[in-house]
Amino acid sequence: MSVVHHDPSTLPVDDNVNPYTFCVELAGSQWFLQKGKMIAYYGAIEFNGIGHGRLDRLVRTSFHSPLHASDWVVAEGSGKMLLADRAFDVNSFDLEDGNLTVRSGNLLAFQPSLSLKQSIVPGFLTLIGTGKFVAASNGPVVFMEPPLRVDPQALVGWADCPSPCHHYDHGYMTGVLGGLRALTGLGGASGEEHQFEFVGAGTVLLQSSEALLPEQPAGGTPHEPGVPGGGAHGAPGAPPGAPRLPGQLGDLQRRFGL
Amino acid sequence: MCDVGFREINPKMVEATVAPGERLFSQRGAMLAYRGEVSFTPNLRGGQGGVMSMIGRRVANEDTPLMTVEGSGTVLFGHGGHHVQVIRLAGDTLYVEADRLLAFEGTLEQGTVFLGAQGGVMGMVRGQVSGQGLFTTSLKGHGGVAVMAHGGVIEVPISPGRPVHVDPQAYVAHHGDVRNKLSTALGWRDMVGRGSGEAFQLELSGSGAVYVQASEEKL
Repeated sequence: MSVVHHDPSTLPVDDNVNPYTFCVELAGSQWFLQKGKMIAYYGAIEFNGIGHGRLDRLVRTSFHSPLHASDWVVAEGSGKMLLADRAFDVNSFDLEDGNLTVRSGNLLAFQPSLSLKQSIVPGFLTLIGTGKFVAASNGPVVFMEPPLRVDPQALVGWADCPSPCHHYDHGYMTGVLGGLRALTGLGGASGEEHQFEFVGAGTVLLQSSEALLPEQPAGGTPHEPGVPGGGAHGAPGAPPGAPRLPGQLGDLQRRFGL
Repeated sequence: MCDVGFREINPKMVEATVAPGERLFSQRGAMLAYRGEVSFTPNLRGGQGGVMSMIGRRVANEDTPLMTVEGSGTVLFGHGGHHVQVIRLAGDTLYVEADRLLAFEGTLEQGTVFLGAQGGVMGMVRGQVSGQGLFTTSLKGHGGVAVMAHGGVIEVPISPGRPVHVDPQAYVAHHGDVRNKLSTALGWRDMVGRGSGEAFQLELSGSGAVYVQASEEKL
């Protein structure tokens, strides 16, 4: 394979440069991206952390939930910017007046015309509206139509499916032999006892491997009765063992709003 | 014949069709998604055959946990982000390490092969160098096999009079009527630590094909 040389004029516009890199063109427009996902840029682009200040209004219109806005950066200006995430496959998706729910760790960047909300399902984020977003996955993304049952680790997200629910398979655990198996542990488990089930009209997004991308904190939920995951798990910090990007101080950073 | 078995969806994912009365074996935990009524049962014996085959596999360290996939529907398989290569067998025998097996059709006959049987002591040395150990798994018959590899896989045909040399670390599997031997190109340079790093090669001759991965990393 030969090395492909790019300059500002040959870089694609809002498209993949290779399976692992995505190029965004900014012309006075704005993009939201997760901290640390920009690998290079041409032109005059400003990266502003969002929190308080002149970007307040933008944050208010695009982030409709008490998300950790401090994990996001606004890129503003004109030029071309390359996005990548630890050599995972990167893909862009267009939403047209639609909704899509994606695992929080997989979302890299999105246009401010979309609004980002926390999903009721913990650990997932929902994008609503019209616009483009960029997501990473381990291996290419495969689109499937329900009815479908998906291994929890292979699920990237879903669009328009109203019914993500749990499904348990343990047929082989029933009966006398199955009871013996469950009691003694002999024979082991298939590792496929639990899936997410989708029915109805919509699309399910799968990645080609069971290796997960480290989860990004999707923000806490209000401590209210009836809210799933309503603060019961304590601080929704990054899971231990997840690689932290250089320059990120994690919880400490978030606490001080850096 | 059994070509319906596996369909490659992308380089890292395969789709398998299961029909009533048919069985698939797959590595445990390698199912990504399925449609229809399909059951996944952990396979105590780690594959086919009776208890003796199971003991054989245990001893040979070729007892990668497998599960039986039955029912009717389609199943997607993928594992660990490895590249997947589908190999279709038409009556011949595939030699592959058990931990590289992602899934295979139940029509194939699974066995354990002692590498010393192919070339005696040199066969054992060869197994050590190529990371196969003293034993490897064989699959025989008609049907499809999905094999995992690090990086993409290329198939190199072997024809009589045209032997193929393969880096032992990049070797994935081979099938057909193939004899292999370890060829060494050790010289004085290797002795003084100035070797090329390619002192050991697998030489495969006969007729068949060898699968080589684009990486020297083992799974």
